[in-house]
Amino acid sequence: MYLKDVYSISPQVTHTDEFINGNYKIYSKNILSVIEPSYSEMIPASLLRRMGKAVRMGIGAALPLIERHEKLNGIVIGTANGGLENCINFLNQIIEYDEGVLTPTHFVQSTPNALAGQLALMSKNTGYNVTHVNGPLAFENAILDAMMFLEGATNKTALLLGAVEEISNYNYNIDLIAGRYKSDYIDNNKLITSQTKGSICGEGSTMFIVSNDANNALAKLINLKQINYPNEIDLEYLLNQFLFENDLKTEDIDLLILGNNGDVQFDSWYTLLKSFFSSKKEYVYYKNFVGEYRTSSAFALYFATQLLKGRIHHKGIEGDVSSIPKIILIYNQFEGIHHSFILVQSVV
Amino acid sequence: MQKVFITGMGAISSIGSTVDEHLNSLRSGKCGIQTAKYFQSKYAQNLVFGEVPFSDEQLRQRNNVASKKDFTRTTVLALNAFNEAIIQAGISLEVLKSDKTAFISSSTVGGMCYTDELYSDANLKDIPSNYARSYEGSDHTWRITEMFEIGGIVDTINTACSSSANAIYLGARLIQTGRADRVVVGGADSIAKYTVNGFNSLMILSDQACRPFDENRNGLSLGEGAAYLVLESEDAARNKFKIAELNGFGNSNDAFHPSTISENAIGPILSMELALQMTGITPDLIDYINAHGTGTLNNDLTETLALNTVFENVPPYNSTKSYTGHTLAAAGSLESILAILSLNNDELYQSLRCESPINTHQSRPIFEFVKKNLNYVMSNSFGFGGNCTSLIFSKCI
Amino acid sequence: MDREEVKNDFKGHLITYLNLLDITPDKIKDDEPLFDGDLGLDSIDSVELIVLLDREYGIKINNPTEGRQILIDVNTIVDYILLNRTK
Repeated sequence: MYLKDVYSISPQVTHTDEFINGNYKIYSKNILSVIEPSYSEMIPASLLRRMGKAVRMGIGAALPLIERHEKLNGIVIGTANGGLENCINFLNQIIEYDEGVLTPTHFVQSTPNALAGQLALMSKNTGYNVTHVNGPLAFENAILDAMMFLEGATNKTALLLGAVEEISNYNYNIDLIAGRYKSDYIDNNKLITSQTKGSICGEGSTMFIVSNDANNALAKLINLKQINYPNEIDLEYLLNQFLFENDLKTEDIDLLILGNNGDVQFDSWYTLLKSFFSSKKEYVYYKNFVGEYRTSSAFALYFATQLLKGRIHHKGIEGDVSSIPKIILIYNQFEGIHHSFILVQSVV
Repeated sequence: MQKVFITGMGAISSIGSTVDEHLNSLRSGKCGIQTAKYFQSKYAQNLVFGEVPFSDEQLRQRNNVASKKDFTRTTVLALNAFNEAIIQAGISLEVLKSDKTAFISSSTVGGMCYTDELYSDANLKDIPSNYARSYEGSDHTWRITEMFEIGGIVDTINTACSSSANAIYLGARLIQTGRADRVVVGGADSIAKYTVNGFNSLMILSDQACRPFDENRNGLSLGEGAAYLVLESEDAARNKFKIAELNGFGNSNDAFHPSTISENAIGPILSMELALQMTGITPDLIDYINAHGTGTLNNDLTETLALNTVFENVPPYNSTKSYTGHTLAAAGSLESILAILSLNNDELYQSLRCESPINTHQSRPIFEFVKKNLNYVMSNSFGFGGNCTSLIFSKCI
Repeated sequence: MDREEVKNDFKGHLITYLNLLDITPDKIKDDEPLFDGDLGLDSIDSVELIVLLDREYGIKINNPTEGRQILIDVNTIVDYILLNRTK
């Protein structure tokens, strides 16, 4: 499957060239909110007025791609939680008005498939349409769905594939009491070496156009794998098996993109993974830019496409890239429970 | 490409806690929609629901997870149906651990069924509740995955009311593309203040038991439940009893409105046509349709038009939501199972409470129990966000 | 409150409840159809308006069909509010 185009809205300025030019935003707080482009040019006010942040940024990231690629055959979205702000707003109404007369907009906008539905509506796309909500693997499942849809399809078949996750005070609170965020404030560029429990919270939407057509593609997505509830002793075998299935060895990987999030309880998984490669293997992190969220691997995949194209001359906030890589392995895990490998290759 | 067979089914809803109990209820025309006994809400007594007749505690005990206080009602409903399905299919615990065994579930309300606890936790009102780590839509999927150590691909879908129909679709694709030998597919949802107030705010909840396809229908009745099917490849099912074959599936989007379906039925027509195309049969070979049939003004009118557009002679159809209420994410898999019960027993069950059928077309839902030889059946599921899915099953005997 | 005051009060609530962006009270004409007009309101908005009437003026409307006969334009709604408000 080829990644033909990408658009990312994130806590970095990714909707213009600022991020790839190395102008990184530094935040001194534990919530990294997205920097949004102006939507008023692309989304009619009559629709924008109803959209919660998740739907809005998903549409903001998808519309430029839909405009550049006509006749898409479907829309596949991954989001663990969809429009949580709307969801809890509606919930608050239920309690505060004691199940009285309630406004339906929040309810309709809170369903995680609201984004894929709204995109279909706005682009008059009656094709394939699925939303995956599988927690920390929601985007990985969306990728798999798109790969299966394209198997056996013609080169003209193309899908919109993407992910969205929003921060609301409410989901921040829920993850906070679940012990997932740091209790002290740190700068995001010191995230990886913070040595404390929990991470910092991020959000974002990254959208791709995918097809079987290699022409002018940004990158080839070779394959991916999900692993759940593994033992540490199994990780090396699982990695080697995955690489073997794709005719690769550890030496073939030029660069690792690692999902370290500064949580001292679980970052040892990344150290373990690195130990299976030569000690000289280059690696980069990405959550120092965007924080931790369930579908952050979509941002990692955007990052990979830019690195493979040599568009980013990484200055090494953490990690270093000495030459333009040809094959990248993205490794991400969530609390040691859910893990994913994504293999991406440059297209000549 | 590998054929896809159904080798196990499990279901729990207001009309039964096993597949056999569902069959009995369908045959006797027993409706499960009534005032709520366990659901706590202002509406518990003045609206009607398809409530599963067990408390959360009873459901935990039935499934031997009494000590798991962080298991939500959605999770235990799912567990109940999951267990029944894998036992019927003869899937051992060892086989569940195989990396060729996948699990695709779905839910809309997920772990948010405890509205008051979520309110408290999200607003930091009190000490964290038991459910602080249980709210996500995928929560029930992961609890079951962890319990049974499922070794293959795991996924959770939310396409609103067509969620578990798409879980079936994707499970079949995993088998067809060789990524899995067997997949447990389905969905679960429980009655929650969240959804009851949501549908009520849209003014599409009926004050009495829903009347799908009736001229005087005035909304849907919410139900709850869970339903799972075991799908297996031809090779994996070789020496097993095959309940039915999944022949075709179609997924489309109506691209019309966030919460209503288009008057000209673009999405429903397309999903049915795609399913027929994939099955490779003409519409006249469909012997029965389990309609989406929610009982709302909008859905039933549009679906009637869609049926009359796709089929020159509309086959017998009913809405089993007139028995179970709308079980949301569970509806697609539950109604697939009920359609397969029709198929394998050569029986058509009455669509309840349709006294004066919608008169825009000549077609009428099934009005009495009849025996009829059935070979191909279809199940329709349409949801908010325009998500439409149709599935076609055939007999294996 | 006289008719003019109720009208301005209602238009303010209309903008807030429906989150109408870039629209000020003077841009909403009294006799312009709210639905199928420039404002682009739809069936969900009609339910939002029913909630508005309940919360701001204590007026109960039980179903969208009943609502459709009242929620035509600003004039018809203001007339209805003047006759039926309980707060």
